[in-house]
Amino acid sequence: MKKYFAGTGKMLSLWWSRLATMTIKELLQLGRDPLLLAAIIYLFTLDIYMAGGVNMQLNNAMVAVHDADHSMASRELIYRFRPPYFKLKGEILDEHEGTRLLDSGEAMLVLDIPSKFQHDLIQGKTVDVQIQVDTSNTVLGFLASSYAGRIIGQYSFDMALKRMGLTKESLAEMPMLVDQHRVWYNPNQTDSWFMSISEMLTVITILSIMLPAAAAVREKERGTIEQLLVSPLSPMQILLPKVISMTMVILLGTAVSILLILEPAFHVPIRGSLSLFFLVSALYTFTTSGLGLFIATVSRNLAQVAMLTILIIMPMLFLSGAWTPPEAMPGGLRQAMYLSPLYYYIEMSYGILLKGTGINILWDSLLGIILLGILVFSFGVWRFRRQFE
Amino acid sequence: MNMTRVRAVAGKECREILRDRLFLALAFLLPVSLMLVFCYGISLDVENIPFAALDYDQSSMSRDYLHRFIDSRYFDYKGSVRIERDLEPMLAHSDIRFAVIIPPKFQENLLAGRPVAVQSIIDGTFPFRTSTSKGYVIAINAEFNGELLAGYISRHLGVSQKQAAAMSQPVRLQLRYLYNQEMKSVWSIASAMMMFVLMVCPPFLTALGIVREKETGSIYNIYASTVTRGEFLIGKLAPYVGISVINILILWFMAASVFGAPFKGDPFFFFISSVIYVICTTGIGLLVSLIVRTQVAAMMLTTIVTIVPSMLYSGLLVPIASMDAESKFEAHLFPTMYYNEIALGSFLKGIGPDQLWGNALVLTLYAVVLWTLSYLLFHKRPKS
Repeated sequence: MKKYFAGTGKMLSLWWSRLATMTIKELLQLGRDPLLLAAIIYLFTLDIYMAGGVNMQLNNAMVAVHDADHSMASRELIYRFRPPYFKLKGEILDEHEGTRLLDSGEAMLVLDIPSKFQHDLIQGKTVDVQIQVDTSNTVLGFLASSYAGRIIGQYSFDMALKRMGLTKESLAEMPMLVDQHRVWYNPNQTDSWFMSISEMLTVITILSIMLPAAAAVREKERGTIEQLLVSPLSPMQILLPKVISMTMVILLGTAVSILLILEPAFHVPIRGSLSLFFLVSALYTFTTSGLGLFIATVSRNLAQVAMLTILIIMPMLFLSGAWTPPEAMPGGLRQAMYLSPLYYYIEMSYGILLKGTGINILWDSLLGIILLGILVFSFGVWRFRRQFE
Repeated sequence: MNMTRVRAVAGKECREILRDRLFLALAFLLPVSLMLVFCYGISLDVENIPFAALDYDQSSMSRDYLHRFIDSRYFDYKGSVRIERDLEPMLAHSDIRFAVIIPPKFQENLLAGRPVAVQSIIDGTFPFRTSTSKGYVIAINAEFNGELLAGYISRHLGVSQKQAAAMSQPVRLQLRYLYNQEMKSVWSIASAMMMFVLMVCPPFLTALGIVREKETGSIYNIYASTVTRGEFLIGKLAPYVGISVINILILWFMAASVFGAPFKGDPFFFFISSVIYVICTTGIGLLVSLIVRTQVAAMMLTTIVTIVPSMLYSGLLVPIASMDAESKFEAHLFPTMYYNEIALGSFLKGIGPDQLWGNALVLTLYAVVLWTLSYLLFHKRPKS
């Protein structure tokens, strides 16, 4: 009996030492491709830094003005189109010029103030002001019209008060709603917080699918897989080291980008527990590397790997909820989101990093990731074993 | 330049593509599926924002005010809570993205002619959605205020409600949406997608081509043959440019018919610019292929130079105009921005070569530079 146990103990330690050796081999192989290494480092540092610098708000939308009135009132209205949202492009003389500016993209809005604007206002009439908005980019078009609407609404309100001889002070004796906004988790709506985290998650996703898949297919393409197959290694011992080594690299990269980019450069408040975040990230990279292994079994060369990776990653990115809110997705796609591990990962990452939530609230996403992970990873392993046994 | 030799290299490459069934299928499947996923999947319209309400007043006026949110298609009512503390877990778990809090004595204060502060809590995780939600809230409040003001005027000056309403709003805004009157985001996405898909797919087709020959050693056949550098590069890439040109037509057809984006511009000009763009992006793949030594590195590098700029610096998600100087500079470095303007202009704006020739010229220059650089980097007598 004792001998038997000693035997299994030996077997186990042999199993582990083989695993360790293979993991080291994978890491060495990665380390000897300087360009690949440089690419990975770039993705985790500079790329995230650059993405964090991208601003998503409407800034300095160019406004061209056709002012047919040239009065005090019209000038006051025009000067309300100010930065940060708007910037005055200048005055235009006729409609054609406005159309030309809009066509060429030099202006985004054309504000048209009718003649007798001030005269009609003093007379107590209602005056129409026209704004043409370039909505070829709907997001911007929407923001621009919404901000312009706000400016005109405020101006109109001020004019109404003025007409009735009321001042700002008398507002305190009037029935009205006062907006009090509080934005949680990102009070100043700093884009770089969202962008840098989102980019980091994208990088993790791309690498965790591509690296294991490439490591496996490269052996196939070069024929070195034959050497591995005649060695005493089991398919698990060939495959797990690829996943383990790449997960290690990715987690290291994540740590680097949090400590060197996210915190110092963008001051992202890491509100939750970092160890929980790394645990979740490890689970996530394991899950998606299952997808990578699946790709590896389907493809024969790296060109196929590259295209299959894109085919899987792109829908994942766009069904993740980072760019399109889940609640705005059409019905069927919304269900599809629940199948994407990235959806849970994004929910948890923003939860931990920005909202400071813990496992008590995020447990259902964690469960989702674990279930999907078991499913995807065992599917990948099953395919891989079937191919090589 | 010997055309027979170019044809021979191209023929060999074609046969290789045709025999790799999965690769061939992916070459056409990838663009189509990207187009489908994005156009059905990205809806940048912010709608159905889930929200909860906390009504301390429970009066008829507060209910009326609340119903403006509940009945709006922009909001999705998830229920009411009794105390503010209950809102926190809902926001943390993303069950709601926004909450409105109506203070006690809402009705009493308003009827007595006193201002009332209405609080809203908005989830700031996704800044773009936050500012849009804020916009909706402000619009609803402004409308309510307009009515309050009209009521106040009619009571104080003794005029009819209708007159008072006119008096409370002396300036009206007439908005005209140009180019995309119904604000259909799928139209702008469909045309922008042509830019994106044609940026991502051609480099991935070609990036591994030459480095694979290097890695497997079959490049020595070329080194030893009479084929010159230029002949080899042109012959090698011609089939991939061909595939991408077919993809242009497929994507164009999809954008126009499946997603109904109106094509108002000059079709000939658009086609020519698209071909130039594809030659550009194929050239990016070629350049990557020449710089790296291994296929894995080629994959990584292609991902870096294609996906990131086409998502971030093309104007697809982030407008060029609102970028800071640094990002703007980077946007001008990639061909995506120029082609995106051509695609949007041709599809939605209906403008032609007289306004877009500059962009087409930049693309041509880009292609020339890329191909010349590749020609200079490719040697038949490698150093090591």
